[in-house]
Amino acid sequence: AAKRVGTPKRNIHMSNIVEELIFDKHDVPSTPKLKSKRSLAFGREKDIEKILLEVTPKKPVEKTPKRGQRSSSKYAKDCEAPKTPKTPNEKLKMIRSGELTPSFKERESVEHSKLSKNDLQLARERLHVSAVPLSLPCREKEFENIYTFLEGKINDHCGGCMYISGVPGTGKTATVTGVIRALQKQVQEDMLPAFDYLEINGMRLTEPRQAYVHIYRQLTGKTLAWEHAHALLEKRFMTAAPRRITTVLIVDELDILCNRRQDVVYNLLDWPTKTAACLVVVTIANTMDLPERVLMGKVTSRLGLTRLTFQPYSHKQLQEIVTGRLSGKVAAVSGDARRALDICRRATEIADSSKNKEICVNILHVQQALSEMIASAKVQAIKKCSRLEQILLQAIAAEVTRTGVEETYFMGVYTQFESIANFMGGILIPSTGQVLRLCSKLGAERLIICEHTRNDMFQKILLNISMDDIHYALRVRPEATQ
Amino acid sequence: MSDDVEELSQIRRFLKERLQRDYTTFRGHDTERENIRQLLQRTAEMAESNSLLLIGPRGVGKTTLVNAVLTDLLNNADFIQNTLVVHLNGYLHTDDKLALKSITVQMQLENACDGKVFGSFAENLAFLLECLKAGDKRSKSVVFILEEFDLFCAHHNQTLLYNLFDVSQSAQAPVCILGITCRLDVIELLEKRVKSRFSHRQIFLFPNADDFSVYVKLFETLLKIPNERELKKHAERVASLKLLQSDQLTFHRNHFDPGKYKFNKRSTERWNKHIDALLQHTNVRQALQSLFDYDVSEAGLKIFIYRLVAQLHNRPGKTQVTSEQVTQLISSYNNDTKVEILCGLSILEMCLIISMKHHSEIYDRDPFNFEIIYARFNKFAKLSTGMQNIERGVVLKAFEHLRNLELILPITMSCASKVQKEFEMHKLALTYGQIHQAVQRYQVLPTEVTQWSQSSLI
Repeated sequence: AAKRVGTPKRNIHMSNIVEELIFDKHDVPSTPKLKSKRSLAFGREKDIEKILLEVTPKKPVEKTPKRGQRSSSKYAKDCEAPKTPKTPNEKLKMIRSGELTPSFKERESVEHSKLSKNDLQLARERLHVSAVPLSLPCREKEFENIYTFLEGKINDHCGGCMYISGVPGTGKTATVTGVIRALQKQVQEDMLPAFDYLEINGMRLTEPRQAYVHIYRQLTGKTLAWEHAHALLEKRFMTAAPRRITTVLIVDELDILCNRRQDVVYNLLDWPTKTAACLVVVTIANTMDLPERVLMGKVTSRLGLTRLTFQPYSHKQLQEIVTGRLSGKVAAVSGDARRALDICRRATEIADSSKNKEICVNILHVQQALSEMIASAKVQAIKKCSRLEQILLQAIAAEVTRTGVEETYFMGVYTQFESIANFMGGILIPSTGQVLRLCSKLGAERLIICEHTRNDMFQKILLNISMDDIHYALRVRPEATQ
Repeated sequence: MSDDVEELSQIRRFLKERLQRDYTTFRGHDTERENIRQLLQRTAEMAESNSLLLIGPRGVGKTTLVNAVLTDLLNNADFIQNTLVVHLNGYLHTDDKLALKSITVQMQLENACDGKVFGSFAENLAFLLECLKAGDKRSKSVVFILEEFDLFCAHHNQTLLYNLFDVSQSAQAPVCILGITCRLDVIELLEKRVKSRFSHRQIFLFPNADDFSVYVKLFETLLKIPNERELKKHAERVASLKLLQSDQLTFHRNHFDPGKYKFNKRSTERWNKHIDALLQHTNVRQALQSLFDYDVSEAGLKIFIYRLVAQLHNRPGKTQVTSEQVTQLISSYNNDTKVEILCGLSILEMCLIISMKHHSEIYDRDPFNFEIIYARFNKFAKLSTGMQNIERGVVLKAFEHLRNLELILPITMSCASKVQKEFEMHKLALTYGQIHQAVQRYQVLPTEVTQWSQSSLI
């Protein structure tokens, strides 16, 4: 968590010398809040963080302490300031300059300790999608591929692009961040030249141009308007600077950044071609043929041919992922790793709530979870309709059979409705107004698709369920069809 | 006597308030309720991130279920301290910008001040995500309740949904995203990356449509007056609602408070006994059955009972719910409003409707314009005794009146058609059965018109 806050700043430590030549920025004081958080930090990611913090001073030996002194002396009053109430405008200014770190409310009671959890709860925790393992199973090849690419680029001190594709939930982002983590470890051990790491996600931006703002903020911590940020980034990447280190930029959800003009994607992919930039861009998207289908020729050309496709997980691989997180054995039946993990998690919940003494997930639990999470409830929905709604569905089906066309008109449906209701007997036939109300109710549930009721008797009605479903659902309940 | 009057008005007020403002009582569906309760509890206690969709037809009590679960959890001090509830509605928060501002205010982030949010949309989103990222297992859990979830799917790029689901699937602040919708196929509306991040937990909530006796039982409970012990229990339950500190979830502010009511034991007994007797009537049961056939939802029944209770008066014979009232009210449900509109038309307009009916019958529902109808009407008017000497302008006015009542619909829905109004084509939005009924029920319709309506030959 504190990593995100910490990372860009740490990068500034390393590339400060380079950046100060260009940016002429005043230093960002580190707030006491941040410090206390760092010292508090525990957990896997934070351990790395800690190590990193301890390790980084090696290179710029006098840089960090000096800054610490400066901030403590010069900004001593400012550091105390965030506690005191401020006007919203001042606050906003502080947020924009990155002086105010976003925080989140802490719990009042302490979290349950690990000891009080039973095996199932521990398993559920480990099965959560957010618990990304240190090494991803079944993605060794892809890991190797991306690792060699990035390592080569960083070592050679040149720029480049890579395009990674694959359907959602196949471990693209997790693998890439894993590679970055491994590379950062190499940097610590002085096996690799240092590099900056930036990441943006297309879906986290409100519009493509906000990408500039996000990149710039990760470099300096300041928020600017996109035009300004763009100009400054342009300046940074276009002009040669001595002792510039490589920057690795991960662009997730690339397809969202593609607007009609494609200026943002063009810029992001054009900077690596500049010798001064030393920028390596790794782009991630879902569709394999995105460069050819959506991007313009010149953008595709800049994207290059270094590509990697993540295949959907096979049955065996999913099984390995799940067993990798557990010590027991749960087989999965889905193409998406997130899906498989969620199903397993639900199975543990079901096992937990069933009053069985022996705590173990058996195949029945998995089946129940599976039927809950993949089930279609359409048949159930038809069964739970009121009697007149069921007759209406039958009437629509009858009208479709009569006319042979999928699209029916309310008038014909109403005639069918009348005759079915007459046939069944004992039913007061409702007026068109009431049947229209039934129509819109079924339309809201999307059992049928119908137009606005203002078209009255001439509205078109489409059946959104198969006729077999209707027959199946209503045959099981005898009193509805007798 | 005045005691009785007082008692009756109190009963009436009690019943009405319980029908309208009891937002947290949810009956039945125990497994679903337990499921949601456990999910929210785990989010609060274990700091697990989850997502869930609650799907069911309109009027089944989806919101009430969530309210009930929240009320249950409010007795748990841990829950109140460790969770923030953020409430969004697809009809109010029509785009991500508004939704984001509302989230920022409800979560009381640093860029919000007294309900005002500073910064642009992009800044708000970035700040919210940073805040969520800054959180971890030790920070408060946030429960997002998204009502009319299907409308959030229509937002640009589904940015909000993507980010919320993404937070729920990564090691950030613990959140629980609870979508409520009536669309069964809502999952199909999600983009594939959003769908992949959603945990695919869906809870379907369907009304009880199999068992009529349960419906009757519900009718009974909604009309009966509970005894003192039950009232007290309910009052205690509602009292915990004050702990819900949210500006958006407003159901606790004006909630039905049974603690305010104190009933005379004798009169409640009398009232309840009468309800028991009422349910023994076959007429009442039949009437309820016809209501059940039409609409199985609890919401529909509540509206019906409200109308029933509203009829109670101090006048003799009206102080109790009678079987006649029930049957009468339900038969009023079956009234055809269009026939009622037809009965309110003038004789000239009625004649035009009849000409339209003849035209439709002869030409198999072909569209018509004023000229066609006027010619047909004129044929009749010339021979009739009462309809002679009606000017063309008057007939046109009558025709326009019918059009404004939407008994006839223009073929092209656009208002800016260049066709003259006499020649614009229309179609008839009535069934022949409705016209027939109207002719039967119309007061003092001349005999010649009635005869003409039966046959187009003159």
